[in-house]
Amino acid sequence: MTGSLDDRLDAIFDAVLDYEDEKTERLVREELAQGTDLHVILNDALIAAMDEVGDLFSEGVLFVPEMLMAARAMKAGLEVLRPLLTETDAKPIGKIVLGTVHRDLHDIGKNLVGMMLEGAGFTVINLGVDVPLEKFLEAVHEHHPDVVGMSALLTTTMPNMGKTIDLLRKEGWNGHIMVGGAPVNQEFADAIGANGFAADAPGAVELARRMIGAN
Amino acid sequence: MVAVDDQAGSRRRNRRDRLAAKGGDAAAPQAVAAATFDVAMPKPLTGGGPAVRPAFAYLDDSRVGEFVERSYRVLEEHGVHVSHPAAVEKLGQAGCRVDADGRLVRIPRGLAAEALAATPREVTLYSKSGRHDLQIPRPDNSFHMRTGTGAHGFIEPDGKWRKLVLDDVKTIAAIGDGLPEVGFIAHPFVNGEPERTSDIHGFAAMLANSEKHNWIQPYDAANVRFLMEMSAVAAGGEQALRAKPIVSCIACSFSPFEFKEMDIEAIIQCGRYGVPIHACSLPTAGGTAPVTMPGTVLMATAEILAMVTLTHILAPGTPLIATPLIFALDMRTGRSLQSSVEALQGATMAVQVCKRGFGLMTHTYGAGSDTPDLCGQSMAERALIGFMVGQVGADILGGVGQMECATVFSPVQAILDSELGAMQRAWMHTPAVDDETLAWDLLMQVPQGGHFLANDHTLKHCRDVFEPASFLKLARDPYEEAYRRNEVDNARAIYERLMKRETPPGLPGEDAVAEINRIVAAADKAILD
Repeated sequence: MTGSLDDRLDAIFDAVLDYEDEKTERLVREELAQGTDLHVILNDALIAAMDEVGDLFSEGVLFVPEMLMAARAMKAGLEVLRPLLTETDAKPIGKIVLGTVHRDLHDIGKNLVGMMLEGAGFTVINLGVDVPLEKFLEAVHEHHPDVVGMSALLTTTMPNMGKTIDLLRKEGWNGHIMVGGAPVNQEFADAIGANGFAADAPGAVELARRMIGAN
Repeated sequence: MVAVDDQAGSRRRNRRDRLAAKGGDAAAPQAVAAATFDVAMPKPLTGGGPAVRPAFAYLDDSRVGEFVERSYRVLEEHGVHVSHPAAVEKLGQAGCRVDADGRLVRIPRGLAAEALAATPREVTLYSKSGRHDLQIPRPDNSFHMRTGTGAHGFIEPDGKWRKLVLDDVKTIAAIGDGLPEVGFIAHPFVNGEPERTSDIHGFAAMLANSEKHNWIQPYDAANVRFLMEMSAVAAGGEQALRAKPIVSCIACSFSPFEFKEMDIEAIIQCGRYGVPIHACSLPTAGGTAPVTMPGTVLMATAEILAMVTLTHILAPGTPLIATPLIFALDMRTGRSLQSSVEALQGATMAVQVCKRGFGLMTHTYGAGSDTPDLCGQSMAERALIGFMVGQVGADILGGVGQMECATVFSPVQAILDSELGAMQRAWMHTPAVDDETLAWDLLMQVPQGGHFLANDHTLKHCRDVFEPASFLKLARDPYEEAYRRNEVDNARAIYERLMKRETPPGLPGEDAVAEINRIVAAADKAILD
């Protein structure tokens, strides 16, 4: 591996933006072998790349599949770093519990949000789809997240977001709650007592950062 | 530790440069519209293979044949009036029967058939810059569009109506040049100039300001010569004009079944200069043609067949594009309508007869509306007419930007028309059906709960979609955040950008413009004095 540190970080950055997961993984390994601080690789190459992906998506330059493929490439690099991050006791910038609400089986958008959040340095506990109210409650007790994120695609399942929020609040959990999904908008989020709404995955990252004061 | 912000910023710039270098990765319109109240500019449509034009037609082959047969009979048994003694003499020499009054000309079937057989089936309409030459028929089997002609009113981007003046020609030129779906540009009627030479003034301004092919619409027989002389100057001489005609010219019947001196003169001059002819019939059902649309269509096809014959005798070999422009009289008000249901039926049938029955290149309204303002009715009518005539095979769809039955030009509407045209051409390209597009392997491997967002097939094809420049694909929240900015607002933003264009290539030089202006002055003197 040759070139300056900047050049090498650029190469990782570009590999993510070229959706090349194997290349990203290899370059991250090589960079670690060079002795580069893993936080530099994470922040200056991988997270920087996903921030760029988010910006490009928000501007309409990148499409959903491209964002997803970039997130996949980023994750490949992140998996190389993850054991080392644990070893060094590095703290994530935040922890998020994610799930698609009860009776709703749609998970593509929610998973995309999860991948983008991981790409931004969050720890994501993905509860999957058709998540009962009580399971969200169990998760907050078990993982102590900063944020709970809920997704719904169907107008018929949207009300379960409100019910989940009601339960969490009733049981005394006062963390941040964000909601999203095709039929959801800010007005609905306000009506059910959510702390925030994001229209897309990069928006969710931005919102989560705002919620935990990481911006 | 490397500073995150500085280095990431540098990498972002690199990446953006790379995206820009690849081309076609400009920001999408909706997102930008919401974020900055600006829009991406319309881009030329690319890819997609040949257009199959999914079948749509009113007439089966036997009905088309009946129109053809009866067109011959109209010319042979009824005849047409030709108000041009020299032309009548030549028609008589060619075998037509001329009545004692020297104007009614009956055209033998054999002569009309010979003329039809001799008429070119393809032509190139050249642009001045060479960047927008138009092959007719379009090689991908879709169509070209052109701006509305003859408008005397102008709708400002803010919706205000006023009389169209000479300076507006520059606007129409800039809009027409800048819109990828507009193939060529017609000149409007300019108020404030001498009425009898308004066409010459308007055309001179169009020649001097647009890089694309221009369409001549003369207002008087005496004007034709000057219009052609100006065209020759802009082309670099008569020989250059003949080799690469940068203009084409309309010649019209005067329904029912009459040809005035001006239009015969247009045919003759087109032959002399090698300028393609748009052989136009403009019958109005219930007024100058039968109220029943098939009768109006027959009048149009017979008049066009007559012009085919006239061109064959008076300007042999000159390319001719059949141009039926069908109107219907509003029986309540007496207004002429271009987009009534009946007018749409008429245009569609007329194109079908000219294209399939005569085998000619065809041109008709493929945009336009009878409403005075840019509104839902306007969009609906122009979408319908574009669909109908496009699907039956029209080579040129006219009327971009025209409102109130072809009397008004709206640049904002023109921008939306270009978008409609691009949409139509995009979906005309019937999708290929094969293992790749069926995604056969993927379908056969997809697991329960699987999806198709993150695989190479989706990545490969996710950009094979039509991306509108003006039309919205927004959800409610971003729409509200953008102050309910709609497709008209986006078109207005595109208008502002198009008006700030740099001088395009191919415009006549200073000497040529001076010479064109000298011809305009000479025309004023010769015609008005």
